Amino acid sequence: MLSIEDFPEYQIPGAKQVRFNPYESNGGSVVAIAGDDYAIIAADTRLSSGYSIHTRHQDKSFKLSEKTVLASTGCWCDTLSLASLIKARMQMYEHLHNKKMSTTAVAQMLSILMYNRRFFPYYVSNVLAGIDENGEGVVYSYDPIGHCERKKYSAGGTAGPLLQPVLDSQVGLKNQVGVERSPIPMERAKAIIRDTLISAAERDIYTGDGVIFNIITKDGIKQERIDLRKD
Amino acid sequence: MFGGFDNSYSPMWHNGPKPGAFYNFPATSTSSPKDEKQRDSQPITTGSSVIAFKYDTGVVISADTLISYGKLLRYRNVDRVFKVNDHTIIGVGGEYADFQFIKKYIDQKVTEDYCYDDNLQLKPKSLFNWLTRVLYNKRCRFAPLWIDIVIGGLQDGVPFLGHVDHRGRAYEDAAIATGYGKHLALPLIREKIENQTETLNAERAVELSKSCMEVLFYRDCQSYPQYKIATCDGQGARVDGPINVAQNWEQALNV
Amino acid sequence: MFLTRSEYDRGVNTFSPEGRLFQVEYAIEAIKLGSTAIGIRTPEGVVMAVEKRITSPLMEPATVEKIVEVDKHIGCATSGLMADARTLIDRARVECQTHWFVYNEKMSVESCAQAVSSLAIQFGDSADGGSAMSRPFGVAILFAGIDSGDPQLWHMDPSGTYIQYDAKAIGSGSEGAQQNLQESYTPNMTIQEAVNLSLRTLKEVMEEKLNSTNVEVMVMTPDRLFQMYTKDEMQKIIEDLQ
Repeated sequence: MLSIEDFPEYQIPGAKQVRFNPYESNGGSVVAIAGDDYAIIAADTRLSSGYSIHTRHQDKSFKLSEKTVLASTGCWCDTLSLASLIKARMQMYEHLHNKKMSTTAVAQMLSILMYNRRFFPYYVSNVLAGIDENGEGVVYSYDPIGHCERKKYSAGGTAGPLLQPVLDSQVGLKNQVGVERSPIPMERAKAIIRDTLISAAERDIYTGDGVIFNIITKDGIKQERIDLRKD
Repeated sequence: MFGGFDNSYSPMWHNGPKPGAFYNFPATSTSSPKDEKQRDSQPITTGSSVIAFKYDTGVVISADTLISYGKLLRYRNVDRVFKVNDHTIIGVGGEYADFQFIKKYIDQKVTEDYCYDDNLQLKPKSLFNWLTRVLYNKRCRFAPLWIDIVIGGLQDGVPFLGHVDHRGRAYEDAAIATGYGKHLALPLIREKIENQTETLNAERAVELSKSCMEVLFYRDCQSYPQYKIATCDGQGARVDGPINVAQNWEQALNV
Repeated sequence: MFLTRSEYDRGVNTFSPEGRLFQVEYAIEAIKLGSTAIGIRTPEGVVMAVEKRITSPLMEPATVEKIVEVDKHIGCATSGLMADARTLIDRARVECQTHWFVYNEKMSVESCAQAVSSLAIQFGDSADGGSAMSRPFGVAILFAGIDSGDPQLWHMDPSGTYIQYDAKAIGSGSEGAQQNLQESYTPNMTIQEAVNLSLRTLKEVMEEKLNSTNVEVMVMTPDRLFQMYTKDEMQKIIEDLQ
């Protein structure tokens, strides 16, 4: 059927049909560092759209098991849906195979779940952290359509591009000569995460209000909180 | 205007109703949608702000009784806050037709609970999560229900307050406002909530609600001086009103 | 007895008044016509040995394949209708690969048996295309596998029941073989002892004389996983057995 769009000369400039945009960026940043026998994953607690803050207390991390935590930012409605889907699938796995899902298995499944929506992606930046089958700390990072990479540290979310280079320098010790590459102690990792997120809150309006840390060790998961600037 | 491809043409009358027209129908655009999926790209008959917050023993949600049609104040006596059951209340903004559609299903759930007669009723968290799924599902089909809904109540005796928008984006907080309420009322509410010296009881909460609605009426040009307040606490859920803003335009001289 | 049965043994969707599904029971009977297969689990690994019926000297023995690899860490020995076995083995292979693809880990032997079992009980004549077969599969399967370094042996019959075993025999010689295994199995036997036990047991129940062409042996250990014995290795073991 012909519509007015087929007759450009009859269109009035300035008037546009706005198609419904299913996506929205709700901001937030995630940082994760894995050590030899632990992993720390932290996310800020601000949930916003544009200049408007919805809440200052949004926990963006999801405890998936005693060994695995997912932190996710981006389009919050996609984050919520994806997190529930993962939890449901993990429950199904547990019933079917009579065992808990390992962090590596969750990591692979998450990649597949994301790729399943290849042509209508979950608009989210995921970072998964945990302890693997050998008791080693791991971090997995993803792109919105499911590319998955195993790492020792990663940053994601709106301040991801700000934070990642800092981690590359402070944790990865990239392009540095004569430095000793020793395993990173937990307190040092925690301090780096805290400092990077405090710095991100200075420059990224979508990051702020507070940080929730998830410290994953063989003994379980502990949560800690700090405040960030609230402007 | 009829000069073909002359894009330098700039209309004398910008972003407002056409000369001689009283309002700008928001869904009217010169390019009509090509397929049906693009139909619901913006709300038409809309409610504006909802303000809600928790107090020591419960929650309060308030909204005016206006439904606008673009900039026309179209329906002036329509409820936007509701009691769902004895421990759940809701407040709604956005496309009112979409809300009526969803309200039908909420009412069905309530009726079903009543028919079972087992003293079990829909809890606020369940309603909140259900709305999350319905609205997210609709958004994924590119046919969003364009509503902004605030769900409050008592979840096993503990105050609960959550918000869901037309994409299914959901969060919980101690104070929630939508529309202009977010800019105008939320700071006033936060000030009281974070006040450590004085606990916010039911009476003070209603007072605070009233002063917020008053500010909203004076400053939001698409608001209305008549509003309703829904409260939910240990005493049950109820909707009070309509309440009218005691208008005093004398102060306008001081602005 | 058969007279009363005949009223209820035509459909797989009808229980007899005694609560039995005859078609399933007949399918289990069909296994007893199949060639004998034996599986033995030891702490070191799992052994499977099967008899191959070479019915004609013109037959190519290598094409009778009764022990198959499902994944690197899971092998199956089958007895019964070979064509039915193919369908089940195919499913087992697909399930193992799917599991690896989705979870990036090896499927457990039990999960594999469970997946095959759910196909095995999808018989009947449902109209919505939900059933895979109109009759039960006429196969019994032994699953040998390594589950997180732990050797396991599972058995599944046409009813879809799957049970873990230390040692199990299926097929025509299964009754005698099972008796023999029960007498000779010890929990701490070595892999070599298990191979010898399986072949000695086969030798007793087979009609033909045991030789390197009419038996197949597979050994699975945590280090080497699925390993079929070659003809030369078979030859040597059979000679040692004398």
